[in-house]
Amino acid sequence: MMKKTATIVNKLGLHARPAALLVSTASGYESEVFFTKEDLRVNGKSIMGVMMLAAEKGTQLVLEVEGPDEEQAMEALLNVIASSFGEDV
Amino acid sequence: MVNMYKKRKVVKGVPISLGIVMGRTRVILPGDIKVAEVAIAASSLDNEIQRLDKAVAITIEELRQTRDSAGKKIGGPVAKIFDAQLLIAGDYEFLKQVKEQIIAEKRNAGFIYNSLVKKTTSPLKKSDDAYMRQMVQDIEAVANKVLSHLGGYHQRPEVKFPADTILVGRSFTPGEVLSYRRRKVTGFLIGEGGRNSHMALIARSLLIPMVASERVWTRVPNNCRIIIDGTNGIAIINPADKDWVEYQRRRRHQGPATISRIKKLTQIPPLTADGMEINVAANLELPGPVDDILSWKNIPVGLYRTEFLYLEKDDFPDEKSQYEYYRGIAERFSKSEVVLRTFDLGSDKFRKNDDIIKEDNPALGWRGIRSMLEMTEVFKTQIRAILRASVHKNLKIMLPMISDITELEKAKKLIHQAMLDLRRENVPFDNQIRIGIMVEVPSAALTAELLAQKVDFMSIGTNDLTQYTMSTDRNNIRVANLYNSYHPSVLQLIKMTVEACMKYNKPVSVCGEMAGDKLALPLFIGMGVKNLSMNPAKITDICRLIKKIDSNLVYHLAVSVLSSHTAVSVTRKLQSFMTALEKK
Repeated sequence: MMKKTATIVNKLGLHARPAALLVSTASGYESEVFFTKEDLRVNGKSIMGVMMLAAEKGTQLVLEVEGPDEEQAMEALLNVIASSFGEDV
Repeated sequence: MVNMYKKRKVVKGVPISLGIVMGRTRVILPGDIKVAEVAIAASSLDNEIQRLDKAVAITIEELRQTRDSAGKKIGGPVAKIFDAQLLIAGDYEFLKQVKEQIIAEKRNAGFIYNSLVKKTTSPLKKSDDAYMRQMVQDIEAVANKVLSHLGGYHQRPEVKFPADTILVGRSFTPGEVLSYRRRKVTGFLIGEGGRNSHMALIARSLLIPMVASERVWTRVPNNCRIIIDGTNGIAIINPADKDWVEYQRRRRHQGPATISRIKKLTQIPPLTADGMEINVAANLELPGPVDDILSWKNIPVGLYRTEFLYLEKDDFPDEKSQYEYYRGIAERFSKSEVVLRTFDLGSDKFRKNDDIIKEDNPALGWRGIRSMLEMTEVFKTQIRAILRASVHKNLKIMLPMISDITELEKAKKLIHQAMLDLRRENVPFDNQIRIGIMVEVPSAALTAELLAQKVDFMSIGTNDLTQYTMSTDRNNIRVANLYNSYHPSVLQLIKMTVEACMKYNKPVSVCGEMAGDKLALPLFIGMGVKNLSMNPAKITDICRLIKKIDSNLVYHLAVSVLSSHTAVSVTRKLQSFMTALEKK
């Protein structure tokens, strides 16, 4: 099981497009993925779940990844978040 | 005693989609999706799970079909609105939770599914973020479909309506608007929904009139006669005979009827009585049936708004999808030309997650070129996409809300940087592409001579120019009467802009509502304006009038009008000229 924290850096936060990107990235891996914002923990492969996070710029998101490809999955997720989903910071 | 349900009543609201329709109301009361809670025997739980899977599969298939048919009827970018619903419908993790709870609580699929949907949407409903609220509507639309396929619940009846039905309700999903239109609904009166909601975009692209007025479903009786004026945002319930006559007359000059009459135009561009060419163009905001008619007649587009691309997803689309969109436009209008206005979005459209963005006065704030010059990556992406699509050499770039020459210079620098990048990447584009500005801020009109030297063309946005000059919000009922584009001050600013362009030999156009206003037509021609870009519904009337006007005669009219002291005196002169002209 891997657990890391990442900060949402893009100006407009985790709105429609980045949320969909995050979910499709997570869904590409076998491992289970969970995101936690404060005390709300959601399944990272569920668009409905990630929507509920309503994560704004500056949010500290805790990523939990567990499974056979957890290293690749964690790296991919951290990258997509760090690259601000290709948007302005 | 007059039966209150038979009384004539005028409802004033917000125009959402233009055009006039007359018919009878059908009120659809908003209702919560009510699903009965049923205990399920342990042996039947598997069956419940299967029913849920089947209902979801049918929903996904329906959504795909709706998206594809919307794609054919309206165009690709609009069809993408349904992608959000597809993403929601296909959320298998969410469904897994539903299934686990069905088994754990031994309850029917519909009840569990509905309660988990409510649990997801209730925190989002409290958001003051338009994107979140749109998401809620999309989630509820999908849930409604899934529940309808599961059966045993309360939903909107799927019936065929009598001809000329005007649907009255709180709001409708884009899918519903599409399907109601197939079932003979000709207009909508809704209780909530902004001009940029998905529902509004679909209505406009299908040319179906729509008016919004708060809680209107509580104020309008069912099955009564009604007139909807989507252009002015008015609904008349139980209209009098004189109303019918008046609106039947008006209908001939508004909406879909006028747009199909464009097909009958014989001379494009139209010529004045003395043989001067006036370039009549259209203002567009999204792809639709109008595009095809215009391009077939080689009518150019003087203002193609691009905000729709952002609003359909509440997000800036990537370069590839923008490029495909602009290329489609360039190809469709290959025999004429299109002026693309770069994104003009204000703080009221972005997510309010940043103190800088929360503004008391969005109209006077961070929007237009100002926001783009700070969001340089977004701006450059749009410019790159436009440049790549410019290979047919029929696209022009127009920058909104320029108030200062340094803004123009910064924007041009970014555009040239984008050009250098593309050149280095060996991507072809029109390196002679014309770059112009909207003149809608008084400071731009007042310094028009400075700006004219640095642009390829100018287009006067009379709507905003009037608001800023008269310091009046036209949507503010208390002061709306002060909004008047015929005020001498506004006319002077228009004159300054036109003269600056003439001095430096740059084309000038008018693209605000005034361009389609027949009263202003002789004034513009008299001032030497040769380019007018207007709402497509106005094109046929304006072309017809141009042919009657002698440009030499109206020069004198313009001089007289421009020396008037009041808006009343201006309009009086123009009105008497128009009355005489129409008699010819």
